[in-house]
Amino acid sequence: MRWLGLSLLGPLLWALLFVAVYGAHGMACAGVTGPEGLGTGARLTMVGLWLAGLLAHGALLLALPHGAGLQRFLPRAGAWIGLGASAVTLFPVVLVTSC
Amino acid sequence: MTDAPVTSAPADAASDIPRNPPQRSLTLHRALARVWANDRGLWGQITAVSHTTLGLRFMATALVFFAIGGILSMLIRAQLATPQGAFLDTELYNQIFTMHGSIMMFLFAIPMLEGLGIWLLPKMLGTRDMAFPRLTALGYWCYLFGGLIMLSALLFGVAPRDGWFMYTPLSDATHSPGINADVWLLGVTFVEISAIAAAVEITVTILRQRAPGMKLTAMPLFGWYMLGTSVMMLVGFPPLIAGSVLLEIERAFDWPFFDPARGGDPLLWQHLFWLFGHPEVYIIFLPAAGVMSMMIPILSRTTILGYGAIVAAVLGLVFLSFGLWVHHMFTVGIPHMALAFFSAASVLVAVPTAVQVFAWIGTMWKGRPQLVLPMYHILGFFLTFVMGGLTGVMLAIVPFNWQAHDTAFVTAHLHYVLIGGFVFPMMAAATYWMPLITGKRRIDGLGEAAFWVILIGFHGTFFIMHLTGLLGMPRRIDVYPDNPEWIWLNLTSSIFGFVLTIGFAMFALDLILQATLGKRAARDPWEAPTLDWAMPVPAPNYNFASLPLPEQAACGAAQAALTLARGEGVLPGAPRGRREVLVSTVSGARPLHVAVLPGNTALPLALSASIGGFVLLMLAGLYALAGAALVPVAVLIWVWARGMAPSGDMAQVQAAPGLRLPVHFRAGVTLGQSGLVAFLVANGTLFASLLFGLAFLEVVTPGPAAPSASVEHLTMGWAMGFVVATAGLGVLAARASGSGAALAGLLVNLLALAGVLWIGAQLDDPTRHARDALRAVVAGYVGLHLLVAAGMAGFVLDQLRRGEITPDTPGAAPAWRLWQEFTAVTTLITALVILVQAGVV
Repeated sequence: MRWLGLSLLGPLLWALLFVAVYGAHGMACAGVTGPEGLGTGARLTMVGLWLAGLLAHGALLLALPHGAGLQRFLPRAGAWIGLGASAVTLFPVVLVTSC
Repeated sequence: MTDAPVTSAPADAASDIPRNPPQRSLTLHRALARVWANDRGLWGQITAVSHTTLGLRFMATALVFFAIGGILSMLIRAQLATPQGAFLDTELYNQIFTMHGSIMMFLFAIPMLEGLGIWLLPKMLGTRDMAFPRLTALGYWCYLFGGLIMLSALLFGVAPRDGWFMYTPLSDATHSPGINADVWLLGVTFVEISAIAAAVEITVTILRQRAPGMKLTAMPLFGWYMLGTSVMMLVGFPPLIAGSVLLEIERAFDWPFFDPARGGDPLLWQHLFWLFGHPEVYIIFLPAAGVMSMMIPILSRTTILGYGAIVAAVLGLVFLSFGLWVHHMFTVGIPHMALAFFSAASVLVAVPTAVQVFAWIGTMWKGRPQLVLPMYHILGFFLTFVMGGLTGVMLAIVPFNWQAHDTAFVTAHLHYVLIGGFVFPMMAAATYWMPLITGKRRIDGLGEAAFWVILIGFHGTFFIMHLTGLLGMPRRIDVYPDNPEWIWLNLTSSIFGFVLTIGFAMFALDLILQATLGKRAARDPWEAPTLDWAMPVPAPNYNFASLPLPEQAACGAAQAALTLARGEGVLPGAPRGRREVLVSTVSGARPLHVAVLPGNTALPLALSASIGGFVLLMLAGLYALAGAALVPVAVLIWVWARGMAPSGDMAQVQAAPGLRLPVHFRAGVTLGQSGLVAFLVANGTLFASLLFGLAFLEVVTPGPAAPSASVEHLTMGWAMGFVVATAGLGVLAARASGSGAALAGLLVNLLALAGVLWIGAQLDDPTRHARDALRAVVAGYVGLHLLVAAGMAGFVLDQLRRGEITPDTPGAAPAWRLWQEFTAVTTLITALVILVQAGVV
């Protein structure tokens, strides 16, 4: 049963990161975090969140056991899915500068 | 990844279970048939709870709705065949295109996949029925009654007319007077009871009822797909239910959730709708992909390529599909970064989908595909779905989306995805499993002809529509200008649309002919290794005379069928005269206990009819009476729960030599408790959807700021503290045992409910501002949960009084504990939210 939970960790981390970065973006654009909207501070926060998330994904991949069998493969596959999804879907925090 | 067997692999935990001695097959069959049979005549139809009966009934009803939806689409195409068509007036056209979409999504696709899962899963997983047979029946009746309400609205000219997406403000009381929109909101919510019910029982059946030793890592791929689907339904449907309830309350009581003049936001509806609506596409696709993953290796005489990669792809799809919903809203004026986020996610989701497609192609490549009728439809799927997927990637790109949005291009895309990704696989599945359903062989020729007519008709209709859309023709219009570029394209689509309909009629005729005139089919006609064919054809209600052991499951369907029929598996026959299934551990499927399932009953019909009465009274605007109609609903739920009380023979069951198992009344974690956990996942998502609404209105909505709260802060703080404390005391009571604790639980829940009612009376007028309205709804949510918690405490008290709860038989106490803990947590969160919003903390 533990392997099933581990398999969900990567995608869950992506979901958490997605909500955090998107939430930070929403609050910045709504002026909740300051009058400058999506200013330098907010963007640095989002980029920081993204990089921290990628590091967490990397740590998860390192922590997961290697080996054969679906019970080993699925947690690692889940971790890779999460890492790929976080890298691609949140990459816009680096590029987009306006609300 | 290496190839994996299609069947279950032996498991250490269950591999040492010895076989039962062989018995006389006919004797076992007669005993089981008597116990598992439906009652005779019309009464038997009303009281049936068998998954075989109800699964088929779900699918047959869905096919009827498919035919009705198809006829509506022909009316649409007749209207659009010429530029200034006068075949339908605008009002009727709007009703028809709204009902076409609503029927196809809510009354055909979802019930069809539910029916497929309900009918097929127990057979494929090696058990005798779904986890909650009465819930299966309740789901069916809710589906039927909800569907009939929506259909009758069409006959009476009051059908929904605001599109299957019901966008506000088009659907608010000002712009859509009358009951048309209410029919959609209440009807769909009624129907969705069946979706949540199916999701709960599919989840529990897959996780807890697999054959002994059928490890999760080696179960048939269809199980993985349905597990992903059911989890998505548990998380995907609640936002739609939340949105529908809010919009109905707005229309009925003028609470302005979506009214921008009073702090609401029409985009909140779009978010809630598409939070459901996009995962919905995958909810429809995954079961279809599941049957593909089962049929392709069998029809290619090989094993599936990349079992693990496919499971990982399903896992990825389940998650990623919840990060795409905004791509339906690219043109509504959302921030640039959000566009980029959701565009990237929408492109990314093509990867796990492609993994599956390549796995299927690779499987066919390494095998020897047989060009039989199911394979025709599988090839039709490849051609059509891949094209739909590619236009999906095009639409994920924001600049292209801006150009193509709301044009016929999108109509073409969604039909390629839905017909390609669902209807073709379902037709393949129907032709593949018909011998198991009817016990008859098909008559060659007509099915093949139907396939070609459907394929040509479909692409003739919808491929053309890409061009129509790229030439700028909007969707959802009933007349269009005499633009020469559009005229012949529309006419061509209409002509081929009728060809498509003829093809579907031929397909239906083929099924009818097979069922009525076909010759007797052989057992396991596809030489499949899967358990669904390890039984007589047509499949009996009980599926297996004894439940398969790992070595039996691994030796092929034909051989397994013989030994299972002789009772050499686990739990042979029905010696105790009751419906028994085996309940196992989640991962390794090690047998834990025997669950005694309920028999035939009219209770599901009565309960769904009561809910239907509530819906009809709401539609009539008789809100006080509607409230009163909930009393019989509550009484029937009580009677339902009474039916689960410990009773009958409580002795341990000899499932196999040396394997004695307790009955579920005396077991640890029962199916019911697992089901409650699944339901609470859906319930928690509903609560989260409401909180999302609050946050959205607070952060994103540009409307007028909410007026300051009029309630006195200190008083509110104390009241909230009281409610949270009493709900917490309820948890302590639920964790204790004895009549005193149950009585205390009942009282503290009633006290907490009184506190919520008092707070509700102090809150500002909910018609004043959207924030106030949503806050009142969240408070109402908590109040309802406290009321249910009080009811459960009362039920446990009643069970204690009757002596049904003993140290060995916990009765309903664990379920109350679970509910009470959930209620306490949501109460605490609600209190914090309201206090923060009111500026108290």
